[in-house]
Amino acid sequence: MNNIRNFCIIAHVDHGKSTLADRLLEHTNTIESRKMRQQFLDTMDLERERGITIKLVPVRMKYKAKDGNEYVLNLIDTPGHVDFSYEVSRSLAACEGALLVVDAAQGVEAQTLANAYLAVEQGLEIIPVINKIDLPGARPEEVLRQIEEVIGLDSSQAILASAKEGIGIIEVLEAIVNRIPPPSGDPNAKLQALIFDSVYDNYRGVISYVRLVNGRIKKGQLILFMATEREYEVEEVGFFTPSMSAANELKAGEVGYVIANVKAIWEARAGDTITDAISPADKPLPGYKRIKPVVFCGLFPIDRDDFPHLREAIEKLQLNDSSLVFEPETSEALGFGFRCGFLGLLHMDITVERLRREFEIDLVATAPNVAYEIVLSDGSVIEAHKPSDFPDPGKIEEIREPYIRLTIFLPADYVGKAMKLCQDRRGEYVSLDYITTERVRLVYDLPLAEFIVDFHDRLKSLTRGYASIDYEHVGYRKSDLVKVDVLIHGEPVDAFSFICHKDDAYKRALSVIKKLKELIPRQLFEVAIQASIGSRVIARENVKPLRKNVIAKCYGGDVTRKRKLLEKQKEGKEKMKMIGKVQVPQEAFLAFLKADEEG
Amino acid sequence: MRKDNLNYSVMPLSESFSWALSCPVSLYVHIPFCVQKCPYCAFYSVVPKTGDIESYLNLLDNELKMWTSLTGGKIHAQTLYIGGGTPTVLSSKHWEQLILTLERYVNFLPLLEASVEANPGTLSLGHIKLWRSWRITRASLGVQSLDDAELSWLKRPHGAYEAADAIAALVASGLDTSVDLMFGFPGQTIRSWHRTIKDCLKFGIRHLSIYELTLEENTPWGENPPEGLTEGYPLYRFAQWYLPKRGFIQYEIASFSLPRHWCRHNIAYWQGGNFLGIGPSAWGYLNGYRYGNASDIKLYADSISRGEFPIVYEEILPNEKAAAESAMLALRTMWGVSARAFRRKWGWQAYKKFLQVWHLLPEDCKKTIQGKHAFSAKGFRVANSLWEQFL
Ligand SMILES: Nc1nc2c(ncn2[C@@H]2O[C@H](COP(=O)(O)OP(=O)(O)OP(=O)(O)O)[C@@H](O)[C@H]2O)c(=O)[nH]1
Ligand code: SF4
Ligand SMILES: [Mg+2]
Repeated sequence: MNNIRNFCIIAHVDHGKSTLADRLLEHTNTIESRKMRQQFLDTMDLERERGITIKLVPVRMKYKAKDGNEYVLNLIDTPGHVDFSYEVSRSLAACEGALLVVDAAQGVEAQTLANAYLAVEQGLEIIPVINKIDLPGARPEEVLRQIEEVIGLDSSQAILASAKEGIGIIEVLEAIVNRIPPPSGDPNAKLQALIFDSVYDNYRGVISYVRLVNGRIKKGQLILFMATEREYEVEEVGFFTPSMSAANELKAGEVGYVIANVKAIWEARAGDTITDAISPADKPLPGYKRIKPVVFCGLFPIDRDDFPHLREAIEKLQLNDSSLVFEPETSEALGFGFRCGFLGLLHMDITVERLRREFEIDLVATAPNVAYEIVLSDGSVIEAHKPSDFPDPGKIEEIREPYIRLTIFLPADYVGKAMKLCQDRRGEYVSLDYITTERVRLVYDLPLAEFIVDFHDRLKSLTRGYASIDYEHVGYRKSDLVKVDVLIHGEPVDAFSFICHKDDAYKRALSVIKKLKELIPRQLFEVAIQASIGSRVIARENVKPLRKNVIAKCYGGDVTRKRKLLEKQKEGKEKMKMIGKVQVPQEAFLAFLKADEEG
Repeated sequence: MRKDNLNYSVMPLSESFSWALSCPVSLYVHIPFCVQKCPYCAFYSVVPKTGDIESYLNLLDNELKMWTSLTGGKIHAQTLYIGGGTPTVLSSKHWEQLILTLERYVNFLPLLEASVEANPGTLSLGHIKLWRSWRITRASLGVQSLDDAELSWLKRPHGAYEAADAIAALVASGLDTSVDLMFGFPGQTIRSWHRTIKDCLKFGIRHLSIYELTLEENTPWGENPPEGLTEGYPLYRFAQWYLPKRGFIQYEIASFSLPRHWCRHNIAYWQGGNFLGIGPSAWGYLNGYRYGNASDIKLYADSISRGEFPIVYEEILPNEKAAAESAMLALRTMWGVSARAFRRKWGWQAYKKFLQVWHLLPEDCKKTIQGKHAFSAKGFRVANSLWEQFL
């Protein structure tokens, strides 16, 4: 066990984790050089297309160190984007050390800090790696200073590297061997294996990625999933090289996979502990604390027959992504679907994309919204994921909404515009500093709800694409929010309700009912469209009664002709939804639901 | 042909139909000829070649003969309507032949209402004289407009003067004269619409039918719609306002008349009366059995010469549907649906269903007076949407 090193690579997005992993794979001859390609571990189509890592990836490497010994290095590459920080925290639990990669030009960023602290919290040995020193804009001195001052790590231990040019790679490998402690744990103790990830394979069922803390696991062994109390016989164990290669056994300190013919996807969740079914461990390992989704949207199959297919697909994704939550939802316009919770917009985007691609489901994603915390008059707190979750205004003591700390890097010329945008979106100014004479870092605290609408697009167009942003969640804050209901001919219509800040309520209500006025066809009577807060009507529009009518000549007693025309006319309306006496077309609902049409 | 809900196979007529034919019916005769085809028109008619009319009149004779052979006696007509097409494309000599045919097979009842359709341009004094000397009581003239520009836009084969002359001649002859007008032309205004109506009334007509120009499938304009059609609603509404001031009652969705000068033949359509239609594309309805003749003169001729009815469509609606349809038809008229008569004919259940829908309709679109449910003037304006509820 002394020659095993388990570590992960953490960093802010794009600082070069996956590229550094490439070099490590090369230097350890894990991958033949002819098979090597950039960001080798980013295998998903989406990852390669977008150039980002989404899923954590484990690899086992063998390294002959300068001390003459051969070491087994278990590396886990992690995503840098804030939405996927859950992947990072799970990876950390399987390691004793972490390479903290910092871009030499950009310096310490929000996720550098957040991930470094997560690693510290887990008691991991951290090796700072200042990457991209080949860049003309590299400022290693400055970044070293930031590592000391901003994060509080000893910068004398940092390694200067260029993953791209292959500079500093040996130093990194040596540091891993020398500074990261070997795993502790007892191969002869009762089996305790932490599942840090699981994926679903159509042929083999659930594949659990495990870190063995104590004991051994091998083929044929009867194992127990401690949280779900399911028993299975092990079919195969093995290592990631990086493809899965079977081995005789895994033992304490090692990282690998277990296949046990597990078919039901909820039975082997990340965070659970595998133990021996015959002589089980006393208690499971500390699992992961479940993290809460912050962004929600509805997912509906375009073809209604696809609903069961969609459920299955989401369940499968959830197996690999326990941060994904969902519950069934029915929509007046879209039929049956699911309301899903995500860790952020990117997470949502990726999930929808994966459902479309990997499961080939055509679906509609509704515009995202955030989760609110509502303090009731009796002091209890409930969570609201959609406007209809909101109780009576009379019962509400206080509403809290999630905030993010938004960091914007942009050319100094655009600062005014960016600040105006933030201010318009109820942002609270935090700081502004010059990184260089032309480039500025602007920090605002912003309600997440304001961010998810179209903030990024607006910012991009205001700054001609020169701004880059990052954010972290900074918790819930009290907010002056109201729920605005929309009533059609006196009937409240859930699908059109929305939550917004009190000061914006009138403007948004007006734009909503104006849009509805265009979409709702004239009826036989005048239809009032009202927006109200509680019982107070704040805006109103009327749809004038129908006038168009055709009086056609009667065809010598041919009533069937008229009947056919009427039937055709009626058919067109069958797609409409009756709200009280008013016929409302699907498009009206879609206009409010569809994410694509937002903004 | 739809025969799925019928319980006979070859011959369309069972006992009950021949019984219906032994009672008074309305008789419709279709004359499928026009001097030219109007671009908006979906009625079945063709431009006749020499000899066409003569042979057609022979076929008509045969068709009527087939019907009477079912009853073993003459058909008893309480109303007669000779429509088209353009019946005035027939010369006086043709008309004499047609009259002979009708007299041969039809027993015309006292108080007969007998209408003919006429078009300015083909109508002659000869026609009028002949009609007067026979049984014709009513003439319906296809004027469409008294505005030359509108007429030429419609590609009608006559001008405003010819139309005016025709109205004058018909009224002068003592025939109950009705005029068909159309609205919804490009550039049409309430002003020009008013002028046309007013000019028609000046001649002393007693009946007026108004239609919105509709673009029907399988017509030249249905395929290539003309641009700039005026919305018909205000024009219709104007007629509803203006005509009553001139003593006209809107007794049907498209028909206005001086009191008691309504067209009984058309009312029979709306009130579920039995009617026999002969000629291509004619429709008939006999005690719940509805049929439609082939809309093709050649198909029509072939069947008749084989001694078969030229029927290509037939249906007997199940009670519930038939009841709903009868309500919709009755609601075209100011008499609407009579609660008692409806219950007696279709039963309580059907009436309850009717009421369910009726209650859903907006108040200002309907009225119920003395057990009769009818549309209000506004109801007529939006009738299509109201009817839809009954489907
Ligand atoms: N010049 C230079 N570019 C580098 C270096 N290392 C990585 N890059 C580039 O930086 C970009 C991001 O690299 P990745 O390895 O995908 O970064 P990452 O940290 O894995 O990104 P995420 O997984 O999305 O968080 C790529 O375009 C790399 O080619 C380096 O040492 N020098
Ligand atoms: S004259 Fe009448 S029936 Fe003949 S084509 Fe014109 S509109 Fe149709
Ligand atoms: Mg990466």
